Amino acid sequence: MLSFEEIRKLVPQKYPFLFIDKVVEFQKGSKIVCLKNITGNESFFAGHFPDFAIMPGVLILEALAQASIILFRKSFDADKDKDKVFLLASANVRFSKPVFPGDQLILEINTEKVVSNAAIVKGIARVGEKIVSKATLSFGVAEKESLKG
Amino acid sequence: MTADNIDKEVTSIVAEVTELEESEIWEKRDADFFKELEIDSLLALEILALIEKKYKIQIPEEKLVDITSLNATIEMTKSVMEESTKK
Repeated sequence: MLSFEEIRKLVPQKYPFLFIDKVVEFQKGSKIVCLKNITGNESFFAGHFPDFAIMPGVLILEALAQASIILFRKSFDADKDKDKVFLLASANVRFSKPVFPGDQLILEINTEKVVSNAAIVKGIARVGEKIVSKATLSFGVAEKESLKG
Repeated sequence: MTADNIDKEVTSIVAEVTELEESEIWEKRDADFFKELEIDSLLALEILALIEKKYKIQIPEEKLVDITSLNATIEMTKSVMEESTKK
């Protein structure tokens, strides 16, 4: 559906903080399904933990947030908010299973409410059939300049 | 559905989102959400989404600016519901 190169253009986060490899399903303004293959070489495994590699739950949440960014930018004019930042405002999240090297994360996002500069979405992260995390996220799009104190 | 019910239900939605007591938010029903109750635009969007879900209505984006106080939110909800029954 969407290659890694296209993803790299759409998601402001870059290596080593880009957690989407591929988009496999997309419905404008309503749904996206992305994949992220977790390898033992992920930079975060160096510290989490040196003797027990387990993916930090907050990074699963980050992956869901990045999938949401792709959904938002693909659904609307990506150039319009090229210089803007996506700000997570709230997350209601549950982590139910650990994620290890070798797992493939399937990240599904369905929108609850979308307006021109913000959205509320529901995300589910799976490994195979098993749900590893569920979250409701709300985020806004803001001008970088407006954030400087 | 009576107007009283909508008052109560919208109050309960705002209380849930703001984590304030229903009685407190009702007492401050004319208070400015942004200046006095620390509600920001994304909380306003959450309130709008919950109202849409509760009453199975579609609230257009331009109504978001009407979410300025509890009373204004209740009035907006009633007007959108009236509009939707007319259709």
